Amino acid sequence: MSPYWILVVILLPMITGALLPILDFKEEEDRGKRQLFVAIPVILNTILVYALILHKPVGDLTLVHLTKDLSISFRMDGLSAVFAGLVAGLWPLSTCYAFEYIRHEGKENKFFAFYTMTYGVTLGIALSANVVTMYLFYELLTLVTVPLVMHAMDKRSIRAGLKYLAYSIGGAAIAFTGVMILMNSGDPSMTFYYGGSVTESAYLANPTLVQVGYLLCFFGFGVKAAIFPFHEWLPAVSVAPTPVTALLHAVAVVKAGAFAILRITFYSFGPGILLGTPAQGIAMAFAMITIVFGSVMALKEQHFKRRLAYSTVSNLSYIIFGATLMTPYGFLGALCHMLFHGIMKITLFFCAGSVLVQTGREYVHELEGLGKKMKLTFFAFTVGSLALVGLPLLCGFISKWKLGTAAASAGTTFAFVGILALLISAVLTCGYTMPIVIRAYLPREGFDESQNETAKDPGLYMTVPVLILCAAMLYFGMHSGPICDALFAVAAGLI
Amino acid sequence: MELVQNFPLLSIIIMTSCGAICTLLKGKAAKWYCLVCLAATLALNLFAFFYTLQNGAYVYYMGRWSAPWGNEIKVGVIEALLASAFAFVMILSVLGGLEHILEDVESTKVNLYFVMIAFLMLTLLILVYTNDIFTAYVFVEINTIASCALVMMRYKPGKTLVATTKYMIMSLLGSSLFLFAVCILYNITGHLLMEPMGQEVRRLYAEGQYLFPLTVAIAFMGVGLSIKGALFPFHTWLPDAHGSATTTSSAVLSGLVLKGYIFLLIKIYCRVIGLDVLAGDHMPDVLFLFGAAAMVIGSVRAMQQTDLKRLLAYSSISQVGYIFVGLGLGTEAGIAAAIVQILAHAVTKPMLFCAAGGFMNVSGGSRKLQDMTGAGRRDPLSGAAFLVGVFSMIGIPLFAGFTTKLTLTQAALGHGSVKCVLALIVIIVSTVLNALYYIPTVSTLFSARNDLTPYRNRYAHYHVPYVAAMVLFMIVNICVGTLAGPLLEAIYAGLPSLGM
Amino acid sequence: MNAGFLFVLPVIIPVIAGLLVYFRPEYREEAKRVAFVRIMLCVTAAFVFLIDLLPEAGLHLFSLTPELPVLFQSDGMAKIFITLVAVMWLASGFFSFEYMKHEENHQRYYLFFLCSFGVLVGLGLSANYLTMYMFYELMTLLTMPLVLHSGKKEAVQAAFKYLFYSVFGALMGLLGFFFIYNYGTTITFTAGGVLDMAKVAGHENKLLAVVFLVVLGFGTKAGMFPLHAWLPTAHPVAPAPASAVLSGVITKAGILGVVRVIYYLIGPDFIRGTWVQYAWLGLALATVFMGSMMAYKEKVLKKRLAYSTVSQVSYVMFGLAVLNQAAFIGAILHVVFHSFIKDVLFLAAGAIIYKTGRTNVTELKGIGKEMPIVMWCFALASLGLVGIPPLAGFVSKWYLAVGSLESGVPFFNWFGPVILLASALLTAGYLLTIVIDAFFPGSDFPMDTLTKKEPSYYMTVPLIALTFFIVWLGLFPGGLYSMIESFAASVF
Repeated sequence: MSPYWILVVILLPMITGALLPILDFKEEEDRGKRQLFVAIPVILNTILVYALILHKPVGDLTLVHLTKDLSISFRMDGLSAVFAGLVAGLWPLSTCYAFEYIRHEGKENKFFAFYTMTYGVTLGIALSANVVTMYLFYELLTLVTVPLVMHAMDKRSIRAGLKYLAYSIGGAAIAFTGVMILMNSGDPSMTFYYGGSVTESAYLANPTLVQVGYLLCFFGFGVKAAIFPFHEWLPAVSVAPTPVTALLHAVAVVKAGAFAILRITFYSFGPGILLGTPAQGIAMAFAMITIVFGSVMALKEQHFKRRLAYSTVSNLSYIIFGATLMTPYGFLGALCHMLFHGIMKITLFFCAGSVLVQTGREYVHELEGLGKKMKLTFFAFTVGSLALVGLPLLCGFISKWKLGTAAASAGTTFAFVGILALLISAVLTCGYTMPIVIRAYLPREGFDESQNETAKDPGLYMTVPVLILCAAMLYFGMHSGPICDALFAVAAGLI
Repeated sequence: MELVQNFPLLSIIIMTSCGAICTLLKGKAAKWYCLVCLAATLALNLFAFFYTLQNGAYVYYMGRWSAPWGNEIKVGVIEALLASAFAFVMILSVLGGLEHILEDVESTKVNLYFVMIAFLMLTLLILVYTNDIFTAYVFVEINTIASCALVMMRYKPGKTLVATTKYMIMSLLGSSLFLFAVCILYNITGHLLMEPMGQEVRRLYAEGQYLFPLTVAIAFMGVGLSIKGALFPFHTWLPDAHGSATTTSSAVLSGLVLKGYIFLLIKIYCRVIGLDVLAGDHMPDVLFLFGAAAMVIGSVRAMQQTDLKRLLAYSSISQVGYIFVGLGLGTEAGIAAAIVQILAHAVTKPMLFCAAGGFMNVSGGSRKLQDMTGAGRRDPLSGAAFLVGVFSMIGIPLFAGFTTKLTLTQAALGHGSVKCVLALIVIIVSTVLNALYYIPTVSTLFSARNDLTPYRNRYAHYHVPYVAAMVLFMIVNICVGTLAGPLLEAIYAGLPSLGM
Repeated sequence: MNAGFLFVLPVIIPVIAGLLVYFRPEYREEAKRVAFVRIMLCVTAAFVFLIDLLPEAGLHLFSLTPELPVLFQSDGMAKIFITLVAVMWLASGFFSFEYMKHEENHQRYYLFFLCSFGVLVGLGLSANYLTMYMFYELMTLLTMPLVLHSGKKEAVQAAFKYLFYSVFGALMGLLGFFFIYNYGTTITFTAGGVLDMAKVAGHENKLLAVVFLVVLGFGTKAGMFPLHAWLPTAHPVAPAPASAVLSGVITKAGILGVVRVIYYLIGPDFIRGTWVQYAWLGLALATVFMGSMMAYKEKVLKKRLAYSTVSQVSYVMFGLAVLNQAAFIGAILHVVFHSFIKDVLFLAAGAIIYKTGRTNVTELKGIGKEMPIVMWCFALASLGLVGIPPLAGFVSKWYLAVGSLESGVPFFNWFGPVILLASALLTAGYLLTIVIDAFFPGSDFPMDTLTKKEPSYYMTVPLIALTFFIVWLGLFPGGLYSMIESFAASVF
């Protein structure tokens, strides 16, 4: 396909979103029209993205040259395809879920405007051909998602929004400094090449500077990926409407951070020069700390959505841990977890959202006995939790397996410690998900069933996406040979 | 001598005559005449820019007397570029604030407003071009008077008067310090033209003579022009003055006047003192530190504002800090970054002020942010322009602010010392702070909550000048962002003639 | 035709049956439910026995990824394990029909009881590490609700304790999986080990540490010190038939894991003579002794039995850690015998609770007169556990001791049997006192007030059947022995 299609998939959702406030559908009366207006471009866009993935456009599309070296360019390569595919796969489901959910929150026009725009911006990150383009969309992503976090516009959400803003922009600014160092130490256009664009001679001229540059990028982009100690914003933004928390803060936004780290690690600085340096060690150490820390915090947290948010903190660092192994296998593990964690976590958040909408309950101890009333929701939650714990037959195991074997084959002591961190985190994962499941199905002795009488599953708009995701978890868990092969081709730089 | 070489002087003459003639014209005619003159100035300086770009810098002797007797102007790429940019922004600011000028200024005095605009433009041109340090002093004073008048023009007894007085006192303090410095330099070198003076200064420095007076001169020059350039901690006059003036005045004062002084300082430091001498005196370090402090404190203060124009004014303080940080790095790349920031801020801040004017129109003239709730929806054009401005301020690629961030960061990295680390840290912090006050502002402006403002049904009525101004502002802003490559090439081409 | 296709049936039938019991409203009726579960247990057990009779076979079900196939096989170890599972589930299942009358939530109980049956059979039939790990995790998840069943506060706490210990243990197993995949040639269980020594070279120390962690991990399920603490908490709070299978079979799942990893993947040669072996021996012996001591001090019957399990399963661990053929055979024999014995003991304890509500050992005076059948079975099983010939326990202990003595492991070769002996004495102390009190409560005990409280056939028949096996296997262990020997020879 022609590379110009890349521009289409990025702009179509952005334009759709931008048109919504102009068309100004009425909140209640025009709901059907609005839904149609949003759904058609979103689905169309998803189809286009998959068409692009299957028929990769050859060559880059350069939109504009900023300076002699820097340009805004797009490209569809293997890594782009993975992230774009994930995003494109989940967006329609999530939009469908939002159709029903957001009725309870109001201000639907505004919500869908930004929600749909975010789709385009996220694809922009995925399809960037160089660091500057990625940085552009990275900043835009922050800006279009802030209104979503602040949706309720009460004091709590505004504070959360500002926190999110400060962390994200600050992270991007830190990363920008690293990017500038990158620019000085190799190909100044900073185009992504598998293996990195930093030249050996530039590295040898000042190894410390290049490593500092990598760490700046790592932590800067890592803010969105919620690396300790820059994770604080993620639990805070769980005040946002659930479709936002689910899709953006479990998939699009945070994965954009992880994606950026993958890009920076494998396509800009390159494992060739980073492997075995202190920079790798520091990055890996922080990934491990975050893995354990996130799980511990999730275990302590009693608020349902915040607990899931902390779990995201931990799981994102699985991806980053894979990246910091800096081997093709580590990369493969990271990619697997990026995909599968997206599917799992969005499911869990959807369930949390369903509970919130149907019963208004926000804390885990309030969920007792709900499993019998909200059967589908808790079925999905159970499947999602088990997947997250890493039960074979569900997709979470595959990524854990890939990460674990990658770390084992890396052979360093540090990687060995990393495996232990993964396993400790898995135990803790069990600790913060299973009690919810168990209490929902097996209430304590003397539990008063009458308080749950009014609870029931939400409507089809909300249950169908969740069930589709469950099916996906099972499918990828039981038959992930083809997808793993494809991901390995990406990880080994073959496509 | 080629014809084009006369153009800068010609533009100066045009603006002088414009000022004189406007006193005789009625308001409307003065407006048109002034705009035509400004357009002519823009065109002439653009010619000069392209001429210098091809043929390099040249010195223009007034009345053909060469130094050290005659007065001369020096036309380099950077000077011509800034002169064109200033003229262009001036036109757009006038167009963007036209309605407000007619509203805020007494109808009998409208022509006087344009007189002041003309003089302001004139002084800016001279500050940019002159090669004579005493001429510079004279026009610094004229500039002060013109700016004070512009602030005063908005007829509101009390507050505006206080603001103007404050501005006046600070400005005079600044100019007198500057005058001291000029006197000292003249005393120890015996020259007033910049190049000969510069050679003398370097000789004296090398021989170790008059070091103390030299230091005093450098410091007074720096402090004097910093006061006028609203560098922290001499910024206190700015928010009052810029916040209370009429839209065009705020735009011009923030976007251009400050830059005139700062550019003069850059020129003197490069051409007269020389960066090596300067570095020996640690003046760059001082400017750097205050610039860095300004970047942070300006933003912090801006966060506390509830008045949109004051918020923008404080933001200017922070942005001026960027220029001084660039200057304070004391390297070629640092100076280039400072000049880029002069340009970038010149095309951004006036746009924001004009947009703020637009919001005021649909909010009953109130400048309070709360009254402007949803103003961006009622006035989408201003809203769009404001958004572009905000993106630029945060430094998103494709917008002007990104070019600054790019060049300044590169300059800092090239410096490679403690300053580098400090500069990087303040850039990061300042970016975050910028986002922290601009984004909530945007979210208020575009809020759909109608219950917070009594002006929910006022929609914008657009006039051609305003629309033209805003659209051009946005285009120029994006041009500075996307054409960073040629821009930087031009600036680097011009640096040698600046004395680097 | 390959008999492999059969393997799926005993795994899937109980799971489906369990779901049916839970979801079909008609099974709310006791009679229908009991009838259905009874048939399903029998059918599943029949398939298991059929697999036993057929020659060894394998089945490749599907692959998660190309390197992760789900494989089944019916080698000797698998056959022993699934037979054990089937017998225990039959016995406990029938026992449940009566026992569960005094508990609630029957459908839920049978759901998890039946599902765990299927999963345990799957675990036994696993032919590679992935399959085993999968069923191992599922087993934990499905048996935990059995512990939780009553919903009492202590039960909930015990269940979570059980869950976290088990998951931790399983994840240590996963750790081993990562490394065996990297340093081995395959993940399929192969007698004698699969390590690729060329790859291992230079990483021996790391791999040894991993092996040790794996042993600890699977040892969690087997109640080995230091990760044993969950066992005495969790086993007693479950309904008695569930306790019986938990103690009797599910602890052996940990043993199965260790056997599969050490003897079929790592290979005994790799750890022989290393610190791992000594540490393992030490931990096993410590557990043996400590478990007995704790049991001796414990007054609540079911808890005493649980501590006894801790001690006895570590006999097996000890046997495995010795790493020679005789001890290995002794260990596997002990797996079988201990399962039978502990099942009888727990079921008997359940019968006592069910009929009299007594839980404390001091309340059991004279109970032999009230429930003679139950207590006779209890007595025989106790003697078996102590290791009195000709009952089952003696044979296994004999081989354990012989294996240890001829192993040549320094210090432990004689210290092991000493500890085993000491523990046997303690076992006698904590079990036979109950038996003696039950039948001979003393002359001042008012024997006349006692009434016959023998439970129904659902309870007594399984007890008698299992006790019969204890005696029979003690008298004629030859068949079982030669079966174990046939595959024990291949792993060394």
